[in-house]
Amino acid sequence: MTEPVLILENVVKRYGAFNAVDGLTFKVEKGEIFGFLGPNGAGKTTTLRMILSIIPATSGRISVLGSPSATPVRRRIGYLPEERGLYRKMRAAETIAYFSMLRGAKRDPARRKAAELLARFGLKDFARARNDELSKGMAQKVQLLAAIAHDPELLILDEPFSGLDPINQHALEDLIRSLRQEGRTVIFSTHVMQHAERLCDRFLIIARGQSRFEGDIAEARALHPPRLLLRTRDPADWLAKARGVAQLAHAGEAENGEKDYELSLAPGADPQLVLKAAFDAGLRLSRFELAGASLHDIFVAVAGEQASPIAEPLAEEAA
Amino acid sequence: MRPALIIAWREYRQYIFSRGFLLFLILMPLGAILVGATLGFLEQSKSARRYVVVDLAGGYTETIAAELEIRRKWDILAAWDSWLALAAEPGALEAGSIPQPFYAAARSRARAESFAVEGLEAARAAVAPYLRRGAPPFASPPLEFAMIDPPAEVLAAPSLDAAVAAMRPYLLGERRLNEQPVFAAVFIPVDFGPRENATPAQYWSRNLTDFALKEAISDALGQALRGRAADRLGVTAEAFATLVDIRAPLSEFRADKDAHEAELGDRDRIEIALPAVMTYMLLVIIFAAGNLLLTGTIEERSNKVVEVLLSSVTAGQLMWGKLIGIAAVGLTLPTIFGVTGLVAAAGLGGAQFSSDTLSALFASGLIFIYLFYFAAAYAMFAMIFLAIGAVSNTMQDAQSYMGPLMLLVWLPLPFVVMIYQNPNGAVASVLTWIPIYTPYAVMMRAASDPPFWEIAGATALMLVFAAAIAGAMGRIFRHAILQSSPAKFKDVVKILRSDGR
Repeated sequence: MTEPVLILENVVKRYGAFNAVDGLTFKVEKGEIFGFLGPNGAGKTTTLRMILSIIPATSGRISVLGSPSATPVRRRIGYLPEERGLYRKMRAAETIAYFSMLRGAKRDPARRKAAELLARFGLKDFARARNDELSKGMAQKVQLLAAIAHDPELLILDEPFSGLDPINQHALEDLIRSLRQEGRTVIFSTHVMQHAERLCDRFLIIARGQSRFEGDIAEARALHPPRLLLRTRDPADWLAKARGVAQLAHAGEAENGEKDYELSLAPGADPQLVLKAAFDAGLRLSRFELAGASLHDIFVAVAGEQASPIAEPLAEEAA
Repeated sequence: MRPALIIAWREYRQYIFSRGFLLFLILMPLGAILVGATLGFLEQSKSARRYVVVDLAGGYTETIAAELEIRRKWDILAAWDSWLALAAEPGALEAGSIPQPFYAAARSRARAESFAVEGLEAARAAVAPYLRRGAPPFASPPLEFAMIDPPAEVLAAPSLDAAVAAMRPYLLGERRLNEQPVFAAVFIPVDFGPRENATPAQYWSRNLTDFALKEAISDALGQALRGRAADRLGVTAEAFATLVDIRAPLSEFRADKDAHEAELGDRDRIEIALPAVMTYMLLVIIFAAGNLLLTGTIEERSNKVVEVLLSSVTAGQLMWGKLIGIAAVGLTLPTIFGVTGLVAAAGLGGAQFSSDTLSALFASGLIFIYLFYFAAAYAMFAMIFLAIGAVSNTMQDAQSYMGPLMLLVWLPLPFVVMIYQNPNGAVASVLTWIPIYTPYAVMMRAASDPPFWEIAGATALMLVFAAAIAGAMGRIFRHAILQSSPAKFKDVVKILRSDGR
């Protein structure tokens, strides 16, 4: 069995009395698309910076591509930070080649690769454009290409979809999938659940610097069982006591006088038994729908208790 | 090391291959030529400063006129000698082919008189066979001062005060004399003389900052008084002129050299001047490069490029890359101008000067001493500039740190002159032992054989200090560069006290 690409064990990052990351433990396997989810201020960027050895952890163990520090394996990692930036006067192709060279590529192959990537992503005509002449979307593409131009085994993308229009978001999703098909591991952080739901093999939800969930979407849904949505003109409150129903709630009334009910099922309960009980009791149903928990629902349920973003005290951030 | 060099090359290219720098490179010599040509033109076209002498004592007007005339002849001879040194074939000068008084190693009043008697046409004809091809023609310096007769009302005034009052409108430009302005007026009182209680002569002018005429008048009056005293002592005018022209031959020797090479030559003079030149250059480069480092780091912070950089290279590699790149930028300009200047000097007949300069730099090994301390000083100050850039989002944020730093950079400047005059004195020793100023002091003292133990000890202290500065500033850089807001002073102190985690 191959060793995980990334291992974090009880990692802590403390700024004075404030724990930005508090005992975080998780693993990322080779070839996965791993979502790193959490509300603003949950500690995602701090964790990614520790993984990349940009900032040191206060305690705990981090292993990246088999190394206790990212420094010796930097050439095998690509990184797109949340706060994007480019040298304003540098040209697009030059930018991609420059960062590629900083990560170990030779000059000529780096230039060739930059030209190839720009052509592949529709920016061929902008290869010699200065970065301050590019649109925001183009500039983000250039940054992304700069992160992958040296063919990294592990790609870490911090909020990669922010600032992109829907078309470019879709293109980025395709790129991430194609990178996985090439055998690369992709970790990306986001607080937009739709991307994570479509892309992730597994994901981690963190809140207040602590892990709240690690697993795949099926495991998450198992923890957050589906709801049954019923519509009937007959009284149905008695279903609250039916087998497998954990909770019943009124969910409104239709124009024709029918009432909507939302039933939460007990873990492992079979929705068909509830349907059978309803038929046996002669309920006239005009709607019977099994609604699985969305990642958004799961995220809100898991991380929802974290209120507004935590402002990390700057003075402490420095220390 | 490779990532640091890649960063250094980017930093270097960013500034050196920019349109602005290339434009500066072209415009700088063009500007210098333009300024030089303009100054030369203005000097040539400057009309003579016209002055009057109101001589109530009698006899001084002629002496002043004669003295200023010989001064004029001296200036023409000096200009001639300077022109000839560049215009003539070096071989002709060395072989002594050019006859006297048109070429000689030394100038004297007697030679100036002879030159004037022979005339410029004769001089030009005498040196014509020995001129380099394409040498520019000799241009005689313009007449600086012209004596004119005072206005009649001034001469008719009954007293010195009345004469001054009558002259004032002319000096204030309210009236003109023969349609020309009057620059100055000299009044010689009746009882003017060498006695202690004699009334002094008066020099009146609206422009007292242009003191060349005042000095010429002062010299002429002194000469007149000495001439009269000589006359009373029975010395003839001819004998007095001979006495005045006597110059004591005095050669300078360097006590630190063997007798056969101790006499001070041009190369020695260059060698003596080099420490001051190099130290001044160091100050300018530190100031210029420091500002580039500061603005570059602030730009990377505000552009948010720094996080990608730090995911690709270590903070140390980023710092070294920037230090090396900007140091190269700082050295490029003086190197280009230095080499161009030496080549141009060689091409324009100053081959000996170029050769002496290179010899003073390289043959003595001073260049290596300069480079070492240059690098040390640059590294110490540049790290501080980098750290300030790392804690600032804008130049405005940086200002609060820049004030004290600028003071630190320029503080040794007043002492540089003192060390130059006394390289092994107390001030030199004290400055040598202050680690951040050790490079300045040692560069200034390098050519003066300072005590080895002092230099070795101070250098060791400086290296320890530089390592401490590098550690402290590196820590500030690493910790502050990713902060979204500029760090306050207390945050900087916290960073310095933290253990890095």
